[in-house]
Amino acid sequence: MAAASFYVAQDDQGRHHVQLFGQWSLRAPSNDFAKLKKSLQPLFADTFTKWDLLAVEQLDAAGASTLLSGWGNKLDDNISLRPEHTALFNTLIGLAKPPTKKTECDWFAPFVGIGKGVLHILHHFIEFTRLLFSLLIEIAYLFRHPQDFPWREFSANVFKSGVNALPVTALLGFMIGVVMGYLMSKQLHTFGADIYIVNILGLSIIRELGPVLMAVLVAGRSGSAMTAQIGVMRVTDEIDALTTMGISRILRIVLPKVLGLTFVAPLLVLWTSGWTLAGGAFASNMELGISFRFFFDYLPLVVEPINLTLSLIKGLMFGFVVALVACHFGLRIKPNTESLSNSTTSSVVTAISGVILVNAGFAILTRGIGV
Amino acid sequence: MSKDFIQTRAGDNSPSQEIICDVQNVCTEFDDNIVHHNLNLKVKHGDITALVGRSGCGKTTLLRHIIGLTKPKSGNVLLFGENLHTMERVAQRRLMNRFGVLFQQGALFSALSVFDNIAFPLRELKQFDETIIYQLVMHKLALVELEPRDANLLPAEISGGMVKRVGLARALALEPELLVLDEPTAGLDPDRSHNFIDLVKQLKKSLGLTVLFVTHDMDTLASLAERVAVLEDKHIIADCPLRELAEIDHPFIINFFQSIRSRLERL
Repeated sequence: MAAASFYVAQDDQGRHHVQLFGQWSLRAPSNDFAKLKKSLQPLFADTFTKWDLLAVEQLDAAGASTLLSGWGNKLDDNISLRPEHTALFNTLIGLAKPPTKKTECDWFAPFVGIGKGVLHILHHFIEFTRLLFSLLIEIAYLFRHPQDFPWREFSANVFKSGVNALPVTALLGFMIGVVMGYLMSKQLHTFGADIYIVNILGLSIIRELGPVLMAVLVAGRSGSAMTAQIGVMRVTDEIDALTTMGISRILRIVLPKVLGLTFVAPLLVLWTSGWTLAGGAFASNMELGISFRFFFDYLPLVVEPINLTLSLIKGLMFGFVVALVACHFGLRIKPNTESLSNSTTSSVVTAISGVILVNAGFAILTRGIGV
Repeated sequence: MSKDFIQTRAGDNSPSQEIICDVQNVCTEFDDNIVHHNLNLKVKHGDITALVGRSGCGKTTLLRHIIGLTKPKSGNVLLFGENLHTMERVAQRRLMNRFGVLFQQGALFSALSVFDNIAFPLRELKQFDETIIYQLVMHKLALVELEPRDANLLPAEISGGMVKRVGLARALALEPELLVLDEPTAGLDPDRSHNFIDLVKQLKKSLGLTVLFVTHDMDTLASLAERVAVLEDKHIIADCPLRELAEIDHPFIINFFQSIRSRLERL
């Protein structure tokens, strides 16, 4: 057996006679049909060319299809074939043709796009509200049947999204604290207002930065994990298996995640704010020579304790939003990889946007308190 | 007289009884668990060989060694006379195009439609334009007896039997010489699995394939396999035509043959 090849002869009237040899099939590893087609192109263009395939050793669909596309997808008298090859060519000719694409310009397309987008968002909103209320119904159910509370899943979620997040939140918080403390010390020092570093860092970190930093980290870390986990459980029918055992999926999957994260988020806020403050104190100590002892003694005098309460309430809300958004997107995943990746991305993006939105609303509502 | 002669180098010789797949002294261990010990297996051109053995005896592991997904701890696996793991990349890729694999769950790309799944290996070759690819995909769909309108469906939207057919069409897209099937009929109802076996047999005849498959299903074994390789006690204890199993005196084979004897008689 040999690779595909051809031989061209010309008769007295100037007509080409093409004779094909060898394996016109993908099985011959050295065949390159793109090259063969290119070198045959001038012969395909000439309608008087005679084609002789009688010496072809092997012909498969790929070889036949390449030749057919050159011949204009039809056989004629100029082509001599072996009977077993004719059948293959006829099968290929008889197959469905590719659909012709519409090239017409659709002027309404942008409006249709906007409409679809609005409906899509509306659908998300309805589904999200539905999930929220089913969660509330489950919580009401738990008040009547406290023995059904999923303690194991709850504590697993507290551990996964809380305890395991301690190192990363501490590290990032500390570093951000150092950077902020350093920059502010520089500015304040030029005004001789060194002492105000405590006010600025204390208020901004406890009231704003700590909770938001925690929420962003948790949305990226635990929110994405929750979405992906629920998504894979859907793909592998695990959620259906739960339902057939008479176990509510909201109670067993959504509720422990939402309550777990809501419970642990305020604690994480304390932890993150603490490390960020420590970073800030470290920078002020290096830059301005303010001692740690003084920094933390002076802090409660200039930052009202109500700010700490506000920050804990924010933690509660952010944890709730992140977990609920994660579950919402997880439950919408369709069984394919594209949907899994899209939903996980949307989950994190929506959770972070939601947190910032809630934070802005909360800041407006509490603008008169503690500052 | 003008001459225009293109001659690419001569292809490989393939006599009728060429050994397609040659497993030599393969040993595999997972931690402390020895799975294969000095295992030898040869698959000849044109055979339909079934690999059988009890659950967890390392059949799928052996199959994965053969198609180059894993490397045995020691020993060689030669496909078409060459070792996949010691080749340079381009040659390795060419060699991999000479066999097609149907995984147990179909392993279709879930984000791509049926059409794109089958077109994928053809597009990767970069030898064909889209009209030829369209024709070839339609040809493969027709081979596995699917309708052209199924081409736009996503893998999540089609039934288990169709997933296997699409997987088979994808495995056949590059006109392989060796077809490797992992549990081809698992998860199909008896009617569908019967049709699927007929399809494989018919394709084997028309395309001149060599088939190697793993199965637990006795009906599939009795109706599809021409030869059977029995993997037991870490190596191949028998590799012979199905009916010759009766002459082998080994407790596992005696037991095993009894369960397929009645099925063979029915054929």
